[in-house]
Amino acid sequence: MIVLATILLPLVAGALLFALPRQDRVLSRAIGVVVATITLVTVIAAGTTSEWSFRWLSRPFDAAFHFGATPTSFWVALLLTVATACAIAASREARLRDFVAQLLLLEGAMLGLFLARDLLLFALFWDLMLLPVFFVLIGWGEHPATAWRYFIYNFAGGLTLLLATAAFGVIYGSTDVIGRAAGPLVGAWAPWIYAGFAFAFLVKTPVWPLHTWMPPTYSGLPAPMVAVVSAVQSKAGLYGFLVIALTLLPHEVHAYALALMVLGAVSLIYGAVIALTQNDAKRIVAYSSLSHLGLIAIAVGSGNPIALRGALVYIVAHGLFSAALFLVLGYVEEREATRLLARLGGLGWKNPKLAGALCIAALAALGLPGLAGFAGELLILIGVYQAGYVWPVIVALIAIVVASAYFLRLYQDAMNGPEVPDVPVRGDLTWPEALAVAPLLAALVVVGVYPAPLLHP
Amino acid sequence: MTLPFTSADWWAVAPVSIVAIAALVVLLADILFARREQRYASIVIALAGLAAAGFVAARQFGHDYNAFFGGFLTGGFATVFQEIILIAAAGSVILYAALGPASRIAGSIAIMLWSACGAMLMSGAANLIMIFLGLELLSLGLYALCATDDRKASRESALKYLILSSMATAFLLFGSALLFGATGSVELADLANPAHVANPLFWTGAGMFLIGLVFKLSLVPFHTWTPDVFEGAPLPVTAFMSVATKAATIAVLARFIYAALPVSVGQRLLLPVWIVAGVSMIVGNVGMLAQRDLKRLLGYSGIAQVGYILVALAGGTPLGLRYALYYLTAYAFMNLGAFAVAAAISPHGEEGADLRNYQGLAERRPWLAAAMTLILLALAGLPPTAGFLGKILILASGVSAGFVWLAALLIVGTAISLYAYAKVVRAMYAPAETGLPEPRPFVPLAWVSAAICCAVIVLMTFYPLIPSNVLPLAH
Repeated sequence: MIVLATILLPLVAGALLFALPRQDRVLSRAIGVVVATITLVTVIAAGTTSEWSFRWLSRPFDAAFHFGATPTSFWVALLLTVATACAIAASREARLRDFVAQLLLLEGAMLGLFLARDLLLFALFWDLMLLPVFFVLIGWGEHPATAWRYFIYNFAGGLTLLLATAAFGVIYGSTDVIGRAAGPLVGAWAPWIYAGFAFAFLVKTPVWPLHTWMPPTYSGLPAPMVAVVSAVQSKAGLYGFLVIALTLLPHEVHAYALALMVLGAVSLIYGAVIALTQNDAKRIVAYSSLSHLGLIAIAVGSGNPIALRGALVYIVAHGLFSAALFLVLGYVEEREATRLLARLGGLGWKNPKLAGALCIAALAALGLPGLAGFAGELLILIGVYQAGYVWPVIVALIAIVVASAYFLRLYQDAMNGPEVPDVPVRGDLTWPEALAVAPLLAALVVVGVYPAPLLHP
Repeated sequence: MTLPFTSADWWAVAPVSIVAIAALVVLLADILFARREQRYASIVIALAGLAAAGFVAARQFGHDYNAFFGGFLTGGFATVFQEIILIAAAGSVILYAALGPASRIAGSIAIMLWSACGAMLMSGAANLIMIFLGLELLSLGLYALCATDDRKASRESALKYLILSSMATAFLLFGSALLFGATGSVELADLANPAHVANPLFWTGAGMFLIGLVFKLSLVPFHTWTPDVFEGAPLPVTAFMSVATKAATIAVLARFIYAALPVSVGQRLLLPVWIVAGVSMIVGNVGMLAQRDLKRLLGYSGIAQVGYILVALAGGTPLGLRYALYYLTAYAFMNLGAFAVAAAISPHGEEGADLRNYQGLAERRPWLAAAMTLILLALAGLPPTAGFLGKILILASGVSAGFVWLAALLIVGTAISLYAYAKVVRAMYAPAETGLPEPRPFVPLAWVSAAICCAVIVLMTFYPLIPSNVLPLAH
């Protein structure tokens, strides 16, 4: 029952926010933060034991409104609630009431996705979570074409997922299968069903060459929204591989593992190289995301248990540091009215807290030991190497070196160097702003030092 | 003395009779009431008649009834189709409250009710003559209704519909004659005799019969009339046509597939129909992309949506018919809701049909914009709406019947359609242009109708209400 409340709370609160007075910015944000925090508490309270199920369909296959956290999804849900609470606390957008409402709706839809134990329910929330992002892109985005690219790409993925789910249900007889020790799907159709799932997951992640929607979306979305999207929504595809594909279609994942690893490796290098050449700070982080998620795709392809554990750690780590990076870059943009590296510089001298926050997040992203990114990367590399694949490890190590280069460049150009004279100088982070990113940075340290709970679920 | 009709006969046609009588009462009341009250008197009487018919039809469900010596069967899936048609008529009659020249409203409503009678007859028709009678009753009313507006487009639409639809009826009638010649019977049940398979007359007749039906369903390549006729007809008439005509024709098609075709012939004869459905899903959705008029948009949308429904029927399985009914019910509410919103923002004539007037609607009328958004999402098959669940049921039925290529075409068509629907959503949430007509302050009936449609669309996702015993009674 608690798990149902967890999902309904942000959805209902988000819908009710529209009834609030439009002008009251502080109240909207306060309500948003409170709701997101309560959701965080209920996720922890629900744990992996609370389940809720209600029959939905009995023909043409069994389906149920079945919610409940699995050991994997518990951590992703936790990441989601933390990231959303921080993002709402950091929101300073125009029409704040509507913006916070969209963030809450997004949180509810994604909680539904990760806590769904039924494949059809998973597909429902998969489509549902596109809508808040679409509405934010058309209401707050920088360029209208971005909304189309995001929506149509991801909806196409959602449709192949839908077709694959229908076929799966018809053949398997039930879609109430996530996180349950049911046997794998076998038969002539299994590769096609896997193809439908894999396309949806790869578009969402994204992986080269299906990534073209991602850089404009990430740079066009307001910072708090992109923090949540990049931290958690992009993990939906990888979560699908880990929890759905690997348990229900293990033979197909294994048979096409090489393709997955090659795509992951190309994304890894391609994202890193492009990130090195970008001038727009948000795009650097966007392409770094492409690169980092490629590493997780390699881990999934290797199928090694250590690499898969590492994948979960890295999913959480990437969620934490990419949310922190985007929020901090949002603060930078708010102060300087630009996010082009060429026009930024010397911010760190007068804004030590801002610089410190960016520093920790960037160091975690480039894999400094002691922070969360390192733990995940190391486990993945060990696991992939153990599985007998040497070339992906070499590729990944090169990409990690390049990652240091572009993240240091990002920090160097924005925070160090001579101050750019013509930029409007505003004060350092205020306490509310600093508190909004503090939980993410603290979690980066905690997971980096003590990742054990994630490894032994 | 033996009576040609028994009491069971009268009970079987009771819903149809109630609607027909309600139409007469509407005309009488128009004479008795003062001019100011005429409009609401007509609407209230019509709604009461439709509600009574709906109640009686619901009581019939689950029992076998037949009338006219077996020419009209009801109680099974025909009842569900009748309910859909009654809902369509009610949803369209309500729109007259928001628009329409007051002086002619009683006549229009009466004709619409009689058209609904024709559609209800079609949904229960079990022989070729009854199909033809129902179809003509439906269509004759619609020809007149299309012309009730003063605009030139309205008359053009009526003429176009009259000529092209008569052509289709001619096909259907000639096909029926050939079927009668080949089998010696007009009963659909008698056609299901494997002995006819060798007879070329049977194939020609059945083929022409199907062409007539496909035309009425406005599937490719017989679809070009739909957007033009929809655009020209008055808003309530378009709403009625877009649901009731399709529902009645699908009922006939379903009866033809499930009750009339010999098993060995079925899939061979129907293959062209499935191909046509597949092409319609693509053409209809591509056609939507360039539209600037809501009625034309929904006309093209309907072409594709009927294609989706046929995918459910393609397997010829009992479950397929149930899913088709589920989707058709959802589709009826989506269309009626969309037209209700359009009526609610039309202060003078039909401003709600012009998509330019939706620019910035979210700021001026947030609730109407939200309702329209939900309806468009449902048409595109996105959650949390019945459109989503309907699509998955149709896909499951298509896949399990072996029509994977149709399911794949459905996916492609849906992906295309998203752009067209979301374009309207985007316009509503974009900043408003200046100089747009101010929407009406508040149109109670249209708002209520839109709200009910939205509620049903959402609730059907979570509680897929389809009577489980639809098909056993089909025969």
